[in-house]
Amino acid sequence: MPTSRWIAAAALAALLAPVAARADYHIRSPNEIDEGELELEHNGAVSFDRSPANSNLQSYTAEIGYGVNSWWHPEIELDFDRAPGPGQPTNADAVVWENTFSLTDPGEYWADLGLYFEYGASAVGHASDSTLFGPLIEKDIGHTTETLNLLLGKNIGPNQENHGFDLSYAVQSRYNLWRSFSPAVEIYGDAGQIDRIGKFQDQQFLIGPVAVGGFLLGRLGQLKYETGYLFGATRASANGTVRWKLELEIPI
Amino acid sequence: MRLLLAFCAVLLAAGPALADDVVHLAIRDHKYDPPRIEVPAGVKFKLIVKNEDQTPEEFESFDLKREKVVPPGQEIPVFLGPLDAGEYKFFGDFHQDTAQGVMVAK
Repeated sequence: MPTSRWIAAAALAALLAPVAARADYHIRSPNEIDEGELELEHNGAVSFDRSPANSNLQSYTAEIGYGVNSWWHPEIELDFDRAPGPGQPTNADAVVWENTFSLTDPGEYWADLGLYFEYGASAVGHASDSTLFGPLIEKDIGHTTETLNLLLGKNIGPNQENHGFDLSYAVQSRYNLWRSFSPAVEIYGDAGQIDRIGKFQDQQFLIGPVAVGGFLLGRLGQLKYETGYLFGATRASANGTVRWKLELEIPI
Repeated sequence: MRLLLAFCAVLLAAGPALADDVVHLAIRDHKYDPPRIEVPAGVKFKLIVKNEDQTPEEFESFDLKREKVVPPGQEIPVFLGPLDAGEYKFFGDFHQDTAQGVMVAK
């Protein structure tokens, strides 16, 4: 495997200070890198809870990315969030520089390995910036594809809410049925600060069914989608969350 | 740190041995040559895709779960298998109307 991708990934990793518990219901694959393709992406999530004070958390992103080569895909993302509870406004709260590195060729080793790194610059005066990074692991087993993201995050700069490293994880188990539709199960968890991980019931843990698919658009490339409903399995999680993703991949 | 290195070593273990033969596939005039290609079933193998055109192409297959750009005038390795015996469709994402092919695992 080319050493240049490892060197680049290691250089970025060296910049890291690990995050913030940012609800980001989005699985990242180490094999999502399409060299020479422009990517327009939108993610959204809305949470529901029996308690009005904890309901209607909303999160949206608008992203543009480009496959620089076969192993590096940077993106710029604008984040919009709405805090839970009645009467809350929706605000742009961060500009995020995302980087996905593919460290192995798909199928070359027992599992495919990648690295994710992002830096989020807060657009809100009283909030800190943040970083998020970690390994992306994927393995094909029969007709299924198993993907695991293990991410560490840390607030940086002034106005930090905490100074520790936050551990979050995401898992997707997908049955590759048809191009236009494949069923999957996803898990999203946030264990909190790694030096003070609490009881499971106090951690975020969501699990639920997701539909994944895509459609060929000829010269326009491909339109991919993901949508699902995640059930909150702990008292720290909202009762339910709808999440979706739309992605247009345009060859240029 | 030792645990992390051991974890990476397990992930990057080679897995099933590669078949001795390398399978070659060309892209010419925005078409695959040959459009129907036989490959060994039950073993891991390396497919070399060479793009002889002046424009990039993307080797893509939902059946094979692969998606990889081939720059003009260059070749790329695609690691595949072990495949069950059967047919697997592939195409060129940038020329979906002409670049179509089938891989037959025997």
